[in-house]
Amino acid sequence: MADFVALFLTDLVLGLLLGCVLAVIAHGLNIIWGVAKVVNVAHGEFIMLGAYGAYFLYLYGGFNPLLSVPIDAAIGLVVGMGFYFGFLYRELRGKESMGLQSELVTLVSTFGLSLVIVNIAQSIWEHPVGILWSPGAAQVGPVPVPFGGLYVAVVSVALIALTDLFLTRTYLGNAIRAYTQDIPATQLMGINPTVVAAVGIGMGFSVTMAGGALLTVWLPTGIDPTKIGILYAPISFVIVVLGGPGKMWGSLVGGLTIGLIINVGQLFLGGSIALATAVAVLTLIPILLFRPEGILR
Amino acid sequence: MRRLSLRTLGPTLLGILAFLGVLAAIAGRMPLVLLTLVINLLIFAALAYSINFITGLTGYVSFGHVLFMAVGGYGLAYGVGTLHWHPVAGVALGALVSLALALGIGAVTLRFRGVYFAIASQVTALAGFYIVLEVQELGGGQGIVLNVGFEPIAWFYTIWVILAIEVGITYWITHGRLGYGIRSIRADEDAAKTVGVHAAALKLVLFAISGLFAGAAGGVYYWQGSGIFPNEAFSLTFSLIMLAMIVIGGMGTLLGPLFGAVAVYLSSQYFLTVLIGFEFVIIGVLVVVIALFLPEGIVGTLRKYVPELRGLIE
Amino acid sequence: MSEPVQAEAPPAAPRSRRKVLAIGIAFLVILVGVAAAAVYYLTLPTPFGGTIKVGFSISLTGQFNVEGKNSLNGIKTVLNWINGHGGVTVQGKVYNFSLDYYDDQSTPGNIGTLYPRIIQNDNATFLLAPYSSGLTTAAAPLADSYDKVMMSHGGSSDVIWTGSTRRNLVEVLSRASIYLKGAVDWLHANHPSDKIAALYAADSFSTFATQAALGYAQSLNMAVVYNQSYPTTATDLSTQLTAAKNAGADDLIGGGHYTDGLLIMNQLKTTWNAPPPKFVSLLVAVTEPAFQSQLAGSANNVTGPSQWETAVTYSPTFAQSAGLSWYGPTPAEFTQLYGSLNNGDVPAYHAAEAGASLLVLANAIQRANSFNTTAVRAQLGSMHIMDFFGEFQIDSRGLQVAHSMVLVQWQAGAKKVVLPADIADGSCQYPYSGA
Repeated sequence: MADFVALFLTDLVLGLLLGCVLAVIAHGLNIIWGVAKVVNVAHGEFIMLGAYGAYFLYLYGGFNPLLSVPIDAAIGLVVGMGFYFGFLYRELRGKESMGLQSELVTLVSTFGLSLVIVNIAQSIWEHPVGILWSPGAAQVGPVPVPFGGLYVAVVSVALIALTDLFLTRTYLGNAIRAYTQDIPATQLMGINPTVVAAVGIGMGFSVTMAGGALLTVWLPTGIDPTKIGILYAPISFVIVVLGGPGKMWGSLVGGLTIGLIINVGQLFLGGSIALATAVAVLTLIPILLFRPEGILR
Repeated sequence: MRRLSLRTLGPTLLGILAFLGVLAAIAGRMPLVLLTLVINLLIFAALAYSINFITGLTGYVSFGHVLFMAVGGYGLAYGVGTLHWHPVAGVALGALVSLALALGIGAVTLRFRGVYFAIASQVTALAGFYIVLEVQELGGGQGIVLNVGFEPIAWFYTIWVILAIEVGITYWITHGRLGYGIRSIRADEDAAKTVGVHAAALKLVLFAISGLFAGAAGGVYYWQGSGIFPNEAFSLTFSLIMLAMIVIGGMGTLLGPLFGAVAVYLSSQYFLTVLIGFEFVIIGVLVVVIALFLPEGIVGTLRKYVPELRGLIE
Repeated sequence: MSEPVQAEAPPAAPRSRRKVLAIGIAFLVILVGVAAAAVYYLTLPTPFGGTIKVGFSISLTGQFNVEGKNSLNGIKTVLNWINGHGGVTVQGKVYNFSLDYYDDQSTPGNIGTLYPRIIQNDNATFLLAPYSSGLTTAAAPLADSYDKVMMSHGGSSDVIWTGSTRRNLVEVLSRASIYLKGAVDWLHANHPSDKIAALYAADSFSTFATQAALGYAQSLNMAVVYNQSYPTTATDLSTQLTAAKNAGADDLIGGGHYTDGLLIMNQLKTTWNAPPPKFVSLLVAVTEPAFQSQLAGSANNVTGPSQWETAVTYSPTFAQSAGLSWYGPTPAEFTQLYGSLNNGDVPAYHAAEAGASLLVLANAIQRANSFNTTAVRAQLGSMHIMDFFGEFQIDSRGLQVAHSMVLVQWQAGAKKVVLPADIADGSCQYPYSGA
C-alpha cells in the first residue's frame, strides 16, 4: 500500500509537470484557433522546429532550453506572420468568419505544409539529437522532483499568463480580441484587421516554437523529426478542445488533464503507457459530445 | 426510370471500365514487374476511392483513414494466421470488421463538423494504434507473420474486384438520386436538412462504405506483405497519402481518385532511385499549391478551364 | 437590371478559350507523358554485365534510413574486398561481383514491386534481403517463388522462419531470440538468485528478443518479477522503473532503440537510484558510441548485446584452432577498409552483418562451383565457416545456429567486449553503480 501511495504521488507530480509543458505546446495552437478560427495541421512540425531551434542554440551557444525560449519566440513571431500571409490571408481577407470551404482549404494546405517540413527535416537531420541538460532532482519524501521539469512548468505557466495579460491589458491585445468577435466593427474603430490578425497568428507561432524549446527537456535524448509532429500535434488538438478554443487558461486545464491521465492513468491500466495514452486522447470524444465549449465555461 | 445503356453511363465510367477491363484481360500475360506495379497502383486507387466516399463527397476531412486500412490488415492476418482461412476470406473478414468499426465510430464522430471531425478521426486512429499494442491476440507490438506465398495473380484479381465495385458505387452515388442528397451535404448541410435530406444517415452510410473498402484494400496490401507490424501499419503516412491522392486528383469526382493514385503512386516509384527522399516534399508542395489555387484538383481544374472536356470527364 | 447581368457574363472570347484549351491539353499531355515515362522507366531492363549480379532493396529513406545506409556501406566494403582479392572462381573462370539495389523507403509495399524488377528486369543472380524483420518477411516469399538464394542480414525475428516454410532464405546474423541470452547466461552462472525486471519497446524485434530472454531465464529457474512494454514514442518511464524496483527486481533488461535506451538510463537516476539495479542490459542503444558521450559516468558497467564489434578477435588462426575454414578479411581489415571508403567512419554492427551476408554468399558460390540456386543453397546448408563476423552455420530451416552474439560493457569510458570469453577483451563487471 505504501508502495502504491508513493507511486501515485510520483505520477501525480510528474503528470502535473508534464501537463504544464503539454499545455504550453498546445497554447500556440489555441491562440491561432482563437484568433483566426483555423486549425494549423502543421502545428506539430512547428513544435519540432522550435525544438531544433533550442538544440542549435545549445550546440553552438551552450544555451540551456530555458534561455532559448525568448529567441525561439522571436523567430516564431516572424514565421507566424509569414504563415499568415502565405496560407490564411487569401481565405480570411474581407470575411467575417471562416466558411466550411475555407476551413477545408486551410486544413488541406497546412497538411501539405506539414508533409514538406517533416520530410525536409528528415532528410537533413537523420539521427535523433538531444540536449544534455540535467539540473538534477530533489527527493521530497518518496517523490523525485526533477528540477528541469519544474523550471519548465514555471516558464510554461508564466507564458500562458503573459499571453492572457497581453490580450486583456494592452491596446493591441484588445484589438485582437475585438477582431475575433466582430471584424467589420474592428475596421470601423480604425484598426487594420490585417495587422491585427498577423500579430495574433504571429503570437501563436511564437508560443508554439517556445513550447518546442521547453519540450526538449522532456525529450532529453530525442528530437526526432519523424515522431514529434505525429505525437504532439494530435495531443495539442485534444488539449485545445478540452480547454475550449480561444480560452487562454483552457490550455492549462486541458494540458494538466492530459498529463494526469497519461501519468496517473497508467497506474490503473497495469503500467501500460499505450493504454493510458489511448484513454487520454479519446477524452476528446465525450467532451465534444457533452461539453463542446470545453471544460472551462 | 432511366434505361441503362452504354450511352447513358457516360464516357468517364466507360473509360475507367475499359481501363480495368484491359488490365484484367492482360494481367496473366503481363511481365511480373509490371503486374506488381499495377497491383500496388490498384491498391492505392482503392484507398483513394475509399477516402473519396467520405472526404471527397461530403467534405468531412478524415486524417485517420489509416485506421481502417490497418484494421483490414489485422482482420486478414487474424483470419489467415489464427483461423487458418483462405486469404480472400481473410480480406473479407478485415473489410467487414472495418465496416463495423466505421459504423461505430461514425455514429459518434460524424456529429462533429469541420475541424472537429478531422481531429476526432486522427485521434481514433492514434488510439487504435495504442490499443493494438496491448492486444496479444493480434501479436501486440510483435506483429503477425503469415505463411502465404507469392501469388500476384490472386492479389490482382482480388483488388481488381474491390476497385471495380468501388467505382460502380461511386458512379451510383454521383449520378443516382442518392447523390443529390449527398452533394447537398457538401454544399450546405443545414440547408440540406431543411429540405428533407437525411444527412446523418447518408453520412453514416458513406463512412461505413468508406471503412469497408479501406479495410478490403488494407487486407490485400498486407496479404502481399505476408504479415503486419503495428508501428508500420498505423503510420500516419498512409492517411496522408490517401488524402493527398484525392486532393491532387479532384475531391468528390469519379475520375479524380484514379488520377490522384496514378500521379502519386507512379511518381513515387521514381523517387526510389532518383531524388531519393524528396517524394513527400514534392507531394506536399503539390498539395499546398492545389489546395490554395486549384481547390478542385486535376479533374475539377480541367473541367473548369477546358469546356470541351466537360462532357468527357466527371 | 437585365443589362448589367449580361455585361457580367459575356460569351467567352475565342482567343482566351483557345488559350485555356491549350493549357488544358498541355496539362493532360504532361500527365500522360509522366505516367508513360514512369511505366517505361520502371520496366526498362538494365544491361547485364559479365559479373555476378547481387540484387537487393535497402532502406535509404524512412524509419530505417540510418541502419539501411550502414548496411549498404558494409555490403559495398565487402564487395570492394572480394573484387580486390580476385573475385570468386567458378568452373575455372574468375568472376567479380556487382550490386543492383534500390531504395525501398522502409515500406513493405515497395518490396513487392522492387524484387520482381531486380530479378526479372535486372537479371540479378543472387539476392540479399532488405533491412528489418518486417521488410524481410515481405521479401521472403519472392525468393522461393523465383527460386533465388536470399541472404538475410537485418531480419532477425525467428518467426520469419518458424511461422512459415522458407526454402531459399538464409540467415547470416544471430536471431532475435538469442540477443539477450548471453546476459541471462552470465547472470545465471554468477548471480542465480537475482530477480529480473524487463522493460522493452513494443516493436517486433524488441518484444521478441526480450520475451525470449525472459522465457529462457524462467527455464533456468530465475525469477522474473516485472514484465512491461512501452510504445516507442514514450517520453516518461519513471512509473515503470519505480514499479520494477518496488517489485524487488535486482536486474533490468530490455530497451529497444537508441533514444528510449537513453531515456531509461536518464530516468534510472531519479527513480531507481539508491541502490540502482545491479545489472543493466539494453538492446541497441548501448553499442552506440553516443551512449557513453551522452551519459558519461553513468554508462559505466551497462551491458548490451551486439551482433559484432570492431574489437572482436576472430582470425584465421582462431578458425584453424576451431577446425573451421576462414574466408575474407579479418575484423581489423574490414574496419580499415570500411573507414577508407566512408570518410573514416567506424562500422556499426549493421554494416558488419550486411557485409558478412555477401561474403558468405561469395564463399558458397565458390564452394558450389556453380551459379545454380539449388547447388549454392545446398552448400549454404552444409558449410560451417568463420569470417570477420564470426561463425556461419544454418539449420534445415535456414536459421543461423553457429554465430555468436557478443555482450559489450562500458568500462571507464571504453566499450569492452566481455562475452563470449574466447573473443573478449575484458571481463564482465558487476554490480552497476549508477555513476
